[in-house]
Amino acid sequence: MRVKGRTVAVSAIILVLLVVAFVVALCLGKPYVAPGDVLRSLFGEVTPYDVVVQRLRLPRVVLAVVVGACFGVAGALIQSVARNPLASPDVVGITQGAGLAATIALTSGAAAVVIAPAALGGGLLAAAVVLGLGARHGLAAQRFVLAGVAVAIALRALTEIVMLTAEPIDGQRAHIWLVGTLAGRGWTETSWLAITLLVLLPVLAWAGWALRTSALDDDTAKGLGVRPVARRAGLAAVGVLLAAMVTAQVGAVDFVALVAPQVARRLVRAERPPLIAAALTGSLLVVLADLAGRLLFAPTQLPAGVITAAIGGPYLLFLLVRRKS
Amino acid sequence: MKLIARDLSAGYGPRSVFENLGVELPAGAFTVIVGPNACGKSTLLRTLARLLPVRHGSVLLDGADIHSLPTREVARRLGVLPQSPLVPEGVTVRDLVGRGRQPHQSWWRQWSDQDSAAVHEAMGQAGVGDLATRAVDQLSGGQRQRVWIAMTLAQQTEALLLDEPTTFLDLAHQVEVLDLLGRMRDDGRTVVAVLHDLNQAARYADHLVAMRDGRVVASGAPREIVTAELVRNVFGLDCVVVPCPVTGAPLVVPA
Ligand SMILES: Nc1ncnc2c1ncn2[C@@H]1O[C@H](COP(=O)(O)OP(=O)(O)O)[C@@H](O)[C@H]1O
Ligand SMILES: [Mg+2]
Repeated sequence: MRVKGRTVAVSAIILVLLVVAFVVALCLGKPYVAPGDVLRSLFGEVTPYDVVVQRLRLPRVVLAVVVGACFGVAGALIQSVARNPLASPDVVGITQGAGLAATIALTSGAAAVVIAPAALGGGLLAAAVVLGLGARHGLAAQRFVLAGVAVAIALRALTEIVMLTAEPIDGQRAHIWLVGTLAGRGWTETSWLAITLLVLLPVLAWAGWALRTSALDDDTAKGLGVRPVARRAGLAAVGVLLAAMVTAQVGAVDFVALVAPQVARRLVRAERPPLIAAALTGSLLVVLADLAGRLLFAPTQLPAGVITAAIGGPYLLFLLVRRKS
Repeated sequence: MKLIARDLSAGYGPRSVFENLGVELPAGAFTVIVGPNACGKSTLLRTLARLLPVRHGSVLLDGADIHSLPTREVARRLGVLPQSPLVPEGVTVRDLVGRGRQPHQSWWRQWSDQDSAAVHEAMGQAGVGDLATRAVDQLSGGQRQRVWIAMTLAQQTEALLLDEPTTFLDLAHQVEVLDLLGRMRDDGRTVVAVLHDLNQAARYADHLVAMRDGRVVASGAPREIVTAELVRNVFGLDCVVVPCPVTGAPLVVPA
């Protein structure tokens, strides 16, 4: 069906909020920069704030936008395929797989450039295991999520073991990596994720369309000329790739992929998370979480992942309670 | 469009529901499949519509093996309504009927005026035009059933396969749906339906297929094959068969 008016309106409103949050995030902190100065600096005028705005804050806020979009889309895809709002990459083990691989790399003295590829591989491997366990029963939603939760717990335990048996200093580095943070990160990570998104753009356009049959049962979908198993596999693969990629770049910014798609879905009142609105909501969430992490206990900085986890925990409970109906 | 099953075997897990089954569904006719519960009607319909793989034998759609034709192409020629489709949460009637257009669309050309027209027409034919903006999961069973029929009609196929399209409907709506299927046949389409009411089957069918325990016991024009003997044989029911006072079709009255 054509894109609904409500979806467009909601997306536009979230986009406006995101732009506002973007500018606010560039203003706030020490030193405070007035919005007018931020805009002047952004649009190429030379101002005394160029270093603060363009060098220190801009890369991080742009990264937050891209990270949030990746998590939002990844969560929307995986939740739609599993037909379960709990099935997000950080619940079903993908994030934990990336975490374990990164921890092993960090504690075994591997070079810094190895860490992101290792995390990517770990995330994909974990997803393959979970999909393998769940797919034996045709990706029946409940089983897939249960398999994912079990794998996530096992991977988490392994990660703890690796961290605790490593040199304390390496364990500490791994710990910081595990709680996703945008501090000290910027254009490099942004480029990787932006390239990933750009390359996947045609695939995402296909996904937005293909998702329309994801809520139908297999017989109905087959009757409409769809191969539901292949379609689900394709959609899940895109979601897994995005989730593993973004986790490899910034660590585990938990719960964004869980929360953003469902918030977007409720706002547009659709049967499944809309991709664009989920991406925008994810961006907004991460920009705000990173900002809050920077300001709340300044000068101490909290990783964005801590803030999103603090929001996500209660939200997860809310979902579990609501799920009864 | 003609559907022929040759030497067909299908089933679930280790168990076959039917083996070496042969059946012909004539083009441009309204065929009704009847038989007691669990005799394999749905399994046959699902296999004919390539929803279930065949174990042996073949299903021929105008002479071509349906399981080796591209599934999208089949979906443009043959529409199928499964017995109890899962209702997606929070989808509106118009939106769900619109999914019937899937085989005519692609991701780079998602919606056309032709699609809008087909959805509008299908909703009108199935009598759900007034419900267009309602959520499907909040409708009554009968309304919902007609929405699914509308979705299948929106597919605009030459052949329609429907599994118990009249369950959940009150008598008036049952007749309405059967009349609608009759009109589809009059338009030249091939209509195949599983029905559980033998009298409705005898009244509406051009061609009747009676099944028991995974076998086709009889097939042909209802006036020729519906006898007390057949009903006892298929349903294990003693009855008398009299001509219907309205249409003259055989009417089964339990003895
Ligand atoms: N999905 C399934 N898995 C396993 N067995 C099934 C399945 N669907 C139907 N059956 C079995 O196959 C037989 C035929 O079922 P079905 O074709 O649905 O009968 P009908 O439609 O005539 O009532 C029954 O014994 C039923 O239990
Ligand atoms: Mg049945």
